[in-house]
Amino acid sequence: MDLFLQTLLNGLLIGGVIATFTIAFQLTFGVLHVIDFAVGGWVVLGGYLGYYVTALLGLDGFVAIPLAFVLFGALGYLIGPVLYNVRNSRTARPELMALALTFGLFTLLRGGMLTAWGFNTRNVTSMLSGESLAVGPVIVPLIRVAAAVFAVAIAGGLFLFLYRTRYGLAIRATAENRHNAALMGVNIRRLSANVYGLYAGITAMAGVLMGAIYSVNPEVGLRYTLFAFFVAVLAGLGSVGGAVVAALMLGVIEAFVSTYVGSSYSLLAIFATLFVVLLASPKGILRRGL
Amino acid sequence: MAAQPMKSRWPGLLLLAVILVVLALMPLLVNNYWLRVATGALMWAGLACSWNMLGGYAGYINFGHSAFFGLGAYVTAFLMNDPFGLPFLATIPAGMMVTAVFAVIIGAPTLRLRGAYFAIATWAFAEVLIQFASAMDFTGGIGGIGLPPYLNERFFYYAMFGTAALTYLVAWALFERSRFGLKVKALRDHEPAAEAMGINTALVKLQTFVLSAVTASVFGAIFAYWVTFINPKSVFGGDITDQMVVMVLLGGLGTLWGPAIGGVTLFVVNRLIWMHWGDTAFYIAILGAAIVLVVLFLPNGIAGLFVRRKANALEKVAEKLIGGGGER
Repeated sequence: MDLFLQTLLNGLLIGGVIATFTIAFQLTFGVLHVIDFAVGGWVVLGGYLGYYVTALLGLDGFVAIPLAFVLFGALGYLIGPVLYNVRNSRTARPELMALALTFGLFTLLRGGMLTAWGFNTRNVTSMLSGESLAVGPVIVPLIRVAAAVFAVAIAGGLFLFLYRTRYGLAIRATAENRHNAALMGVNIRRLSANVYGLYAGITAMAGVLMGAIYSVNPEVGLRYTLFAFFVAVLAGLGSVGGAVVAALMLGVIEAFVSTYVGSSYSLLAIFATLFVVLLASPKGILRRGL
Repeated sequence: MAAQPMKSRWPGLLLLAVILVVLALMPLLVNNYWLRVATGALMWAGLACSWNMLGGYAGYINFGHSAFFGLGAYVTAFLMNDPFGLPFLATIPAGMMVTAVFAVIIGAPTLRLRGAYFAIATWAFAEVLIQFASAMDFTGGIGGIGLPPYLNERFFYYAMFGTAALTYLVAWALFERSRFGLKVKALRDHEPAAEAMGINTALVKLQTFVLSAVTASVFGAIFAYWVTFINPKSVFGGDITDQMVVMVLLGGLGTLWGPAIGGVTLFVVNRLIWMHWGDTAFYIAILGAAIVLVVLFLPNGIAGLFVRRKANALEKVAEKLIGGGGER
């Protein structure tokens, strides 16, 4: 029973971190109508930033969180318009050209990181690393708790921004119906760039947290892209609320398979679930997909 | 797209004949190393063509095409080994059938949805197969599985040559010269309109997908016998799909010769990089940069440069303006 509780808590904590970037991922799909394959690349870049902040500057790994937002937010802001142009170009299937573009971006990031940093894994270290917290019979690594707290703060901030500001209203309106939003005076092109920047920044922040919990190397990007897809499929593409539920489910599934079956089977289990959901209920288990 | 003016037909046919003769005589012209390179180039040209059937003509991007290449390879490896010990040729139809069954299972539900879901489903399927083949015993696990060696470079060259030629012949006959091809292109360009014209789009897409998958499996089978040893990464790996996607985009999406041009070009570049720097992660970065650059600046690929006529100059300018904004 203790093991069960421990696993459940671990899964929920990880799921919370996954939720931060999958919410942003869903938002990006809603606004830009692009599935971003590069999501895993942003996560890994954030993790590396966290590592270098510790290794080169000697600071606590979590200091990298705001840094990641600024740095990769700016990079995303530059990429956003390019993506928007391809998505709205006059080729036969702009949707798929945009998909190919993000796929290329992901491959470029992965290859570039492998070339620059090799296959070695790195850790984001913090003063909390190695500490743990006992809650009754359950022992939780403090770093996971901290990561989950940061994740909740980031997600909370995002929701406040989306639901309590005028700009957030514009974003939600665009996600719902871009044509009508444009008629109401929203500059869709600029808004898309901002949303992609916001998403890249948030994803990189989540990457710092992920790097603190697990380690990073350029190859694990694939795993986070998979996570984002899994959540997107379970929740239905573009559904932001569903993403939170689906991300927590993902965290729990992964934790239970790793603990009770073996960690080498966790990816297989995730893929198999993803696959079955795609076959059985392709618009998401909540049937909210676009 | 391929409205061919009558007068330009003969030079094209002549060029094709010359290429075929050179390819047929290749083993007499070059040494064993370059014969291996040529064998590989033909395989990739054929694989790119098989990917293009669905990706280019039907407009559905398959990010897990390596799954079918790998299925062909594994079925052949499995059946040629001990309990069965079947001859090579007998394993190919078996691989094709297994592949077709899987293609229907994946394609039937997901091809009805937006292209993005299909892309995710195929990608996930390929990754499942990697994980599965790495975890199971009968596939040899992560270490892989060996095949009875058959060291006859000429046999493999002609096997790849014949299969690639057949692939292009089928693609030409089906997609450029038949009602089926028109249906496929119609649904790519406007699916609701195609449906309204009475085309059973779900069926046509599924047929195209199965054809594309089965073709890849044949190349997988020959590849496995050729290299005599396969493991999950070497035949299911995502890099294989990446490479096919780049080849087709580079050569020209939805054209007959684009995949051949892109496939041969990229494979030769790959070999040259390999000769000079060895097996490097740098190649992955080049692949990624190539996809990005082609999508931004050459959305019709190399073949698109030749197909373009002056009448399209206006369209070109418009595209420049839109795509040019992509530099931001």
